[in-house]
This record gives sequence, structure tokens and C-alpha cells, in this order.
Amino acid sequence: MDGHRDSIKCMAKNPNYLKAIFSGSDDGDIRLWDLASRRTVCQFPGHQGAVQGLTVSTDGSVLVSCGSDCTVRLWNVPDANLADSDNLSDNSAKPVAVYVWKNAFRAVDHQWDGDLFATAGAQVDIWNHNRSQPVNTFDWGADTTISVRFNPGEPNILATSANDRSITLYDLRMSSPARKVIMRTKTNSIAWNPMEPMNFTSANEDCNCYSYDARKLEEAKCVHKDHVSAVMDIDFSPTGREFVTGSYDRTVRIFQYNGGHSREIYHTKRMQRVFCVKCSCDASYVISGSDDTNLRLWKAKASEQLGVVLPRERKKHEYLEAVKNRYKHLPEVKRIVRHRHLPRPVYKAANLRRTMIEAERRKEQRRKAHSAPGSIVTEPVRKRRIIKEVE
Amino acid sequence: MAVKKRKERAFGGESGNSKKFKKYSNSKGPMKKNKNDTRKKGKGPRLPSALRTELDRLDPKIASDSDDGIDLDVGNDVYEYEEEVPQEESRKNRRFDPVENYDYELPEDFEDENVPSDDEDDDGDFGVGGNKGSRNDDVDASDGDEEEDDERHLRMLQGVTGMSTDAFGGKKKRNSVVISEAHPESEYNPTRDVLEGDSHITLQDLLDPIQGKAGYSKLRKRVQHMDRKSTSVQAPLPKVDREKLERMAVYEHSKKDITKWEHLVKRNREAPTVFFGGDVDLGFSTVGAIASEFEPRTEFEKKIASLVYDDKVMEAHKADGSKLLELNKISEEDYMKHRDHVAKMRSLLFRHEMKQKRIKKIKSKTYHRLKNKDKLKVESAEMLMDPEAAKEQARKQEFKRAEERLTLKHKNKSKWARRILERGLNAQDEGTRAALAEQLHQHALLTRKINTVKDSSSSSDSSSDDDDEGSNEDRASELLEKAKEKTLKVLEDDEELPNSGVLSLPFMVRGLKKRREEAIEEAKLALQEYEQLEGTNDAENSKPATASGRRVFGRANNEVPDSNKKTKTDNKMKMDNYYGNSDSEDDLEAKANVNIEGCKRNDVEKDVGPNYDRKEAADVSIFKNFDDNGDPGSKTTYEVAIFASDSWRKMKSENGVDKNAKKLQQVKEAIVHNKDMEEGEEDSDSEREQMVDGILSSAPKESYELPSQSELIRHAFAGDDVEEEFEKDKQEILNEENPEPDKPVLLPGWGQWTHVQQKKGLPWWMLKEHEDAKRKREESLKKRKDAQLKHVIISEKVDKKAEKLQTKSLPYPFTSKELFEQSMRMPIGSESNPETAIRSLNRPEVVKKPGVIIKPIKFVEMHHHEKSEDYKRSGQKQKKNKSKGASGKNKKQSN
Repeated sequence: MDGHRDSIKCMAKNPNYLKAIFSGSDDGDIRLWDLASRRTVCQFPGHQGAVQGLTVSTDGSVLVSCGSDCTVRLWNVPDANLADSDNLSDNSAKPVAVYVWKNAFRAVDHQWDGDLFATAGAQVDIWNHNRSQPVNTFDWGADTTISVRFNPGEPNILATSANDRSITLYDLRMSSPARKVIMRTKTNSIAWNPMEPMNFTSANEDCNCYSYDARKLEEAKCVHKDHVSAVMDIDFSPTGREFVTGSYDRTVRIFQYNGGHSREIYHTKRMQRVFCVKCSCDASYVISGSDDTNLRLWKAKASEQLGVVLPRERKKHEYLEAVKNRYKHLPEVKRIVRHRHLPRPVYKAANLRRTMIEAERRKEQRRKAHSAPGSIVTEPVRKRRIIKEVE
Repeated sequence: MAVKKRKERAFGGESGNSKKFKKYSNSKGPMKKNKNDTRKKGKGPRLPSALRTELDRLDPKIASDSDDGIDLDVGNDVYEYEEEVPQEESRKNRRFDPVENYDYELPEDFEDENVPSDDEDDDGDFGVGGNKGSRNDDVDASDGDEEEDDERHLRMLQGVTGMSTDAFGGKKKRNSVVISEAHPESEYNPTRDVLEGDSHITLQDLLDPIQGKAGYSKLRKRVQHMDRKSTSVQAPLPKVDREKLERMAVYEHSKKDITKWEHLVKRNREAPTVFFGGDVDLGFSTVGAIASEFEPRTEFEKKIASLVYDDKVMEAHKADGSKLLELNKISEEDYMKHRDHVAKMRSLLFRHEMKQKRIKKIKSKTYHRLKNKDKLKVESAEMLMDPEAAKEQARKQEFKRAEERLTLKHKNKSKWARRILERGLNAQDEGTRAALAEQLHQHALLTRKINTVKDSSSSSDSSSDDDDEGSNEDRASELLEKAKEKTLKVLEDDEELPNSGVLSLPFMVRGLKKRREEAIEEAKLALQEYEQLEGTNDAENSKPATASGRRVFGRANNEVPDSNKKTKTDNKMKMDNYYGNSDSEDDLEAKANVNIEGCKRNDVEKDVGPNYDRKEAADVSIFKNFDDNGDPGSKTTYEVAIFASDSWRKMKSENGVDKNAKKLQQVKEAIVHNKDMEEGEEDSDSEREQMVDGILSSAPKESYELPSQSELIRHAFAGDDVEEEFEKDKQEILNEENPEPDKPVLLPGWGQWTHVQQKKGLPWWMLKEHEDAKRKREESLKKRKDAQLKHVIISEKVDKKAEKLQTKSLPYPFTSKELFEQSMRMPIGSESNPETAIRSLNRPEVVKKPGVIIKPIKFVEMHHHEKSEDYKRSGQKQKKNKSKGASGKNKKQSN
């Protein structure tokens, strides 16, 4: 879906309407897309600089955007039916409210089933729809916060990540930060599991994603490896069983929520750095926005049949799936299921990474073997990248 | 020293503020020791009040620094111009040596601190005069520092006299200094009071001034009371620590709060299938609901509805079934009537059936012929009488005609006809020929246009019909001539070869030439045939020239020349050739074919008459033959005769009666021989039986010992040595799996021309290698599982193809091999499972509906007893519960 004139920085899905997706680009343009017809339904002009964050309220009526021009803008989302009928006549909207603030914003997220939203910038601000100033402001540490996400299951808890390589949890009920964990590399984005409110997954600069239990931050629950460059964005499927990531290595990958490696990789020749990814509300599509100014719509399950599937057909599909699932351990079956064609740079980078990791591991093994027993302790990968947990 | 330090700091502060004024205040602890000395005199050179307020404004800390409000109103401050601090004093960068010789003053300093407090009466002239008076003997002290000097002077006096500074009260300069501090008060930047521990103000101090006033004693008591029970209040924690604690508390709380989800998450994770989007309302759920919405629209439906929803019926339904029966009541007479009627109809039907059966059984041809004739007559009569019937008839006829034209059923296209035609007319007798002709006739009849019925047929059709009927022969000849002309034309005009384009390429040109030559040859052949055909036609035409129509030919055609026949067969063969060559697809050829066919048809039709005759003759002869044989009753001969009849038909009645007889006899003899053979066999069978009987009967008579089992087995398998075979097999398999090492050989011819090599034998390393390989093989043989098992072969060969379909290690979620194997054992396909089980077996982990928005999880309280129940539930039941209701899986818990 093309139309933007600059790279797409952020996207937002309408939690109340399946077909709509909002995208904001570096040139300050915000567009509303109709996924079924793959066309722009509406534009929201106004931002002077890049649009850094977009979010939609749970009822799907208010769109919140923020950008590097230090403004937060609230828009009324056009009615879906209206947009369908006359998309040519009036396809640009005016903001309902513009709140100017002291610093540039980096991200915004809306509370689930509430009227609060949080912006991230020099500090974390909590806003109300009707107030031109933040309701609350959190500041812990001096560095810029780069992403913020509300917990959809537990709407008062939010997580942010900052430039000082930290992930911070906040609780709105006590209006105080709760805990911070500092990693070795920066976390670009965070996504909460919508079906498991205690778990969230962070997209890290070191090519991996880390799943955390918010209650036990001293170690990650799972490390999802496969990307070969920084992971830029992450979004959970509404089923909570898998999540999609977009990376700087120009690929989109889909992971199981508890799988160490990706289930699927998407790439095309023309897709550049992926800056944002979203999973559609019915968990059957994936949308990616990239540097090449295009939005791309993927199937969440590449081999799935679209359209109406009759019961007999579905039964057959289910059976075949079950057979595949049963024999997935067999080497030949595994090989076929896992086989993917990769772009050459990705393939090579993956090989290189593997070699490097292997070399490191070997070295450590040898060091261990040649030193006094117990003097060198191998730290598990889940802990290795975490520096400390700050109270 | 402390004093000095203090001063330095004060200076520093001042210099920091870049102020050139120094302010002296006498605010310091005035009532510490001598309470009676409470007179307050501001004696310094008074500044104008405007200037003072200005100063106050500039440095408001003066007020705040002073400990109590009493001093505020005193205001006997001395202001003087202050020089800049000398560099030695400020010790900038420690360029100057620090002075150490103040150490001894430390104890006095404290005193000193206390002392000046009572010097309220410090006179201004001292401050001013201090500058002039008593220059200090201190070497290092800066000369410019008047205050320093004063202090030192005081100290000196003290040292000399050994008296407290009180004694020098008059002389003592008020030295308590109000210093404007650069930094706010904090733990890093403590006030002077903190540094000088003694200068705390006690409550007693505060109380003293009001002694004797009203309420003093009361206040004092309370203070005393407080003193007794006093507990020290701790200073508040630093902000950092406070925040940290707060965060910890918050985290603990939210942790606890978030743990409430655990059971829901656990259940979701453990469930074999998670259902999403099951709460979509699709309208009617049951058949009953749909049926209740039904409204009758058409007449019929309304009628039914009026009957069904009749009040009486409805009431009867509601009340009782018996009333329904009442409604159904009919009178006895009616019933009888109905029954009689039914019986009558049944008997009629039966009679009719019987009659039809009888008629159907009638085999008489005459009867059928007559019947058909009657039918036709009736039809024709009807046709005459009734235009409707006529039309009907015509329609039928037309249909038949169309069918014939469509299928060409009677054009000798059947397999049988084609085969006969292939074999050539020579091989046929008159009977078959007649049959063929009959077919063609049928075709002609059927395809004939019926003018009488339909007048509006196209003119072209009628004209062709006329041709057909009028003069087939004429037309044929005409066509032949046309064909001839066209072939000639083709022969004559040689096309010019194209000069350009693809066709002008050399090989294309060659191909074209070849083709043309072939075509010309064919055309020539065709021409020849045309001539022949014309000849025959002429010959035929000459005789029956006068006659017209088909059946007039009669028997006169007996002497049809043989040559004619030959040409016909030739034609036919050629025709086949042409069909084969149809690739060339010349228009001409097709036409020629048509012509030839037409001609042939004519011929065959002409032959019909005589053929019949011949056939009849043949039949007669056959029967005669049978008679001659004199054994017409025997079945076998009859059959043989029928089989042989084909061959007989070739012969004419004159020849071969004897031959036939001979043949028959031969056949008969053969059959008889066969019978003999059979009898012989039977005989042999019976003999065998007798032999067996003989043995059986003879056995018990002899003294017979029962052999042991092993003996029996040995006897039974006397011939085959199974064990040895097995050994051999095993050896073979062993050899195959662990092949014996090849014997070391030199390259053929290598070193053979000298005898040296031969004498030496093989080189040592070769032998060694061989030995090693042998040893290895033996070892591996010993290691085999079946090495000790004599009667077992356990193959250790690995099938590479099968290996791909086996796991090398135990897959992750399984803990034991048995579990894994068990999970793999049960098939999941529809072939081996009932339909009800398949769904649950094959259900995927996540079931969701496309196009349904999935909302994030919602918290639902879970009760204890339901929790346990939940685990017991089978997958099927769970599914039902989950798919039902608004919030899917959690609904039941909410109830």
C-alpha cells in the first residue's frame, strides 16, 4: 500500500474496526488505510515534523498522534461506513485538539478501556483526552524514553524503554514507577501479551527479543533469536500465542510466544528497513511499514487459504495440519517445514552470527576447562544480557 | 582556627557574591552566659535607612541566618568597605603555604565563640578604630584584615592575663558574623550551628526572657514534662531513598496484583485448544427458531397453514391426543365404500397385468406382424382422419430422420460392417452383402425427405432429393467428371514457389516440392480410378437403362461381370488408402471419396437381389448337407455345422457336399476322441483311489511302530538341511554388511617382468593393511548383536531412506521413549477413527474465526470448586462451554 512520501515511522490499528490501519510517516503525514481495498481512506495533515507515535482509543473514535514537533494531536476517526461511501469528497481531517508541550515526543500509547494515554519523550507523561497538560509525569533517570506500552489486560500498568538501555515499569494507581531493568543494549519496543498480562516481550538492539515476566525481571523467560539486525518493532497477535517483529535487516518475522526461533520470515526485494509492524485484530494478517514508504499486508499464516472455507475443506485442512504437527519431530518433515529462502545478505549475516556465537561458546568452554572448577560460571543466555535490576 | 575557617568561608561566600561589603552583626548568642548584660546599643556608624533596606533586600539571608528574631530589631550593624581577600588568604590553588601555627588556639576558640555573645555593647569606634589600633604581630596574617587583627588582639590579651574574654568585654569586638551563604542549607552544606555543636539554643534560653510573666510557670511545667518524656525525632530520609522505598512498595503491590491472572493464564496454556471469537451472534441458532419465523406466502402454504392452525386441531393438540382421533372419525358406510372401490381397482389392475403378460409371451411372428400391421393401419387411418395425429406421425418421422442423419447408424459404420468391408467384398457371400445393402437401404429410407408432411423445406434440399431419387447414376457420373476436371486442373497449374518469407527457405522449398509431387501422383491415381469407374458405370447403365428406381434390377444381374466386382474391391481399398492419406487434406480427394462411395452404394444396392438369391441357395445347400449327413439330431454336429457355415457359404451348392460330410465326420471323430480321453482320465482316477485304499487297508495289518517326533521331522525334512542354509544366509548377510577386505593385489603387470617382485611377494605395508582390515572386520563381527545368537540374524544395516523418518533423539515435550511412541501410535485419520473422534483429534491449538476481533483477556474470578471441576472436564465438554456465551471460555466461571 503506497502513498506516503517518506518512511513510515509508526502505525496504529483500530481496536474496534478490523479493516482500518493508521500510519504516520517522517514527513508528518498520517493516513488511514482500508485494508480490504488497500487504499487511503483519509489523511490527517498537521504535523510539522516526523510523526513518532500513533494510537487509537479502545472504542476506535479518537486517534492520538505525537511527533517531533512537540505536539500531541487528537483526531476524530471518521466513521467506517461514511469513509466507505464517500472517500473522494473529503479525505482530510482536522485535529480536534492540539496540545503543545515542552519536549519532542517519541512514542504514544493509549490505555485499554480508559481515556488516558501516555507519551514518551524526555519523560513519561500521562494525558487525559480533555486536558491540555499531562495529568501525571514520571521521570526516573535522565535519558529519553523511546517507547511506551500500556498493558491491555491490566490497564494501569505500563512499560517503557529508554535510551539508557533500561526497561521501566510504571503503575498508574500509585502514580509511581515500579521497577527498572537495565540491559546491555537498548530496547526499541515493548509489547505486552494480551492474553497473559504479566508477560511482555521487548525488541532489543542486539537482534534478539526477550520475553519477561513482569514479576521476575532478573532474568528473561525466553530469548527469541533469529534476526540479524536490530529489532525495531514488535506486536503481539491478539491470540497471545505469537508475535510479529520487524527488523532493521529488512525482514519481518513471526515468533511463537515461547519459541526460541521464528516460525516464519517475510521479506521482499523492495522492502527496506522495517520500522513498525502490527498484527491485525483478528490475528490473521500482519502489516508492516518500512523505510521504502510502503505498508505491506501479509498473511499471518502463509499457507492459509483465504476466503470462505467449507466445513469439509476445513476438516481436511485441520487433518493435514494435525498430521504435520504430529510428525514435526522427524528430520525430513522438520527440514521441509523449516525450509525458507532467505535474501543473501540475511543468510550470510545469519551464518556469520552463528559462527561468532559458536566461537564465543567454544572459547568459554575452553576457558572453563582450563581454570579451577567453579571459578568460571556460565551465565545462561536469558541472564547474560541483563546488567541489573534497579529498585 | 575554626573561627578563621569560618571567616574564610564567609569571605569566599562574599567574593562569590562579588560584594564589597562586609556586614557585622552582633546577633550571635547574646544571652549565653551573662544574662544580665542585656543592654543593646547600636553604636556603629549608622547607615542611612534607605541604604540598609537596600542591603537587606540584596541579602535576605541575613535575617534567616540569625537564630532568633530578637536580633532583628537590634540592627546595630557595622558596615565597612571591604577589600578583596588577599590571595594568600583565599589560598587559591594552594599557591601559598598554609599556616599551621593556629593549632594552639583551638580550645580557646570555642571559648572565644561563646564569649563574644555578651558583647552587645560593642562600640562602633572599636570597629572603626580596630583598623588603626593594635596591628597584629602575626606574621602571616594579612594586614588588611582588621577583624582578624582584633580577634588576635583579644586572644593575645587573653593569653597574657589568663582571664576570660569577659574581662575584656569593653574591648571585645562583636565578632558574631552574619554570613550570607552561597548555598542553601543541606546535609552537604551545614550551617554554622551544626559545625559548632555548642551553640544550640535550648528551650531554657527561650524561656528565660519571659520569666515572671503570666503563664510562665505553666509553660515551664509543660516543658519539664516534655523533657522527661522526650524522644528524639529522626531526620527524614533523603529523597533518593524515599523514592526507592516507594518504588519497591509499588512494585510489590503491582506484582501481587498481577499474580491474580495466574490461574487464567495457566488454564489457557494447558488447554489443548484455545477458542477465540466464539461470541459472534449469527442470528437463528436452531431449526425451531427458524421455523417459528415462517409465514405462509403461496396459496398452497396458506391452505396447509389454515388446516394446521385450525382452531379445533390446535385445541385438540393442546388438550389431548384422543380428541384428535375424534376429529378423524368417518362413518362405517363410507369406509366400506372406500374399501370396495379400492378392491375393485386392484382386481382390475391385476387382470390387466395378467393380460399384458400373456400377450408379451406370444412368440408368433405372424401375430406380431399382424399386430404391427394393425397398428400401422390404425395410425394411417388416424393420419387421414385426424390432422393432429398426422402431424404427430410426421413429427416422429422427422425425429427419426434427424436421428439417422445424426448417428449414421445404418451407413455400415458398425464394427461388424467395417470389418467386413475391410476384408473386401471378395470374402463375402451374398448373405452379408445383402445385409449390408439392407442397412444402406434403411438409411436411405430414413434420411429421405418427407415432402408431403413439410412443404416448407428448403429448395436445395428438395433438389438434391430429386437427384437422389431420379438418377443416381447420372449424378454419380457427373460428379466423377467434375472430380476429373479438378484433378486435371491441379495437375496442370503448378504453383509458383514463393520467393520470400519463411516459405522461401531452402528446406521449406524442398518440403513443398515433395508434397506437390505426392499430390500429383495421387491425383493421377485418382484419375485412373475415375476412368475405371466410369467404365463400369457405363456397363451397368447400358443394361438397365430403361429401368428406374432401385428394386427393378431383379435377377437379371446374374451375369454381373467379375471385372466389375474387382473394380469395386479395388475402389474400396483405394478408399482406405485415401482415408489414410487424409493428412494432405486436399479438397479434391475428399470429393473423390464421396463420389466413389456414392458409386459403391449404387453397386451394392444393385447387387441386393442376386445376393439374396445366392444366400437362399446356400442355405438350401446347407440343409441338404445336413440331411446328407444323416445325423441331424446330434447336438454337437449341429453346432459344428453352424460354426462352419461361414466357410460353407463361400462354396456353391454344386461343389463340396462330400467335402462337408468329410469335415463333419472329422469333427465328430475329434469330439469322440476327446470323450475317450476323458473317460480314460476318469479311469485313472478311480485306479488311484483303489491304490490308496489298498495302502490304507494294508497298513494296520503289518506291525507298525509309531516313530518319535524328532524322527518324524527328520524323515519329513530329510532332503533339506535348513540349518546349513541358514548358516549360509547369515554368512552372506554378514559379508554384505561387513564386507571382507579385498586381497591385496599389485597392478597387473607391475614388476612382473622381473622375478624380484615375484620372489619378494607383496610389500609389507600392503600385507599389514590387509591384516588390519581383517582384524577390524572380526572385531565388528564380534560386536554385532547376533554374534552370540546362533539362530538369529539381526541386521545392522541402516536404511537411509527410513532414517529420515525416524527421530534420533527424544523430542522436547516427551520425557520417555514409551510416551513418545504411544503418542505416535494412534492414528488420527478419518480411516481409522470414528467421525465423532476425528474433530477432537485434529483440532488445532488455536481456533479463531477470520474477521472476528479478538479482545484482550478479561479477568474473571475463579472459584475453588470450579477449578477442580475444570480440570476434570474433557476436551469436548470444554469446547462446548467455551464456545458458548459472551466471554467465551470464562463464562462458566462467572455464573
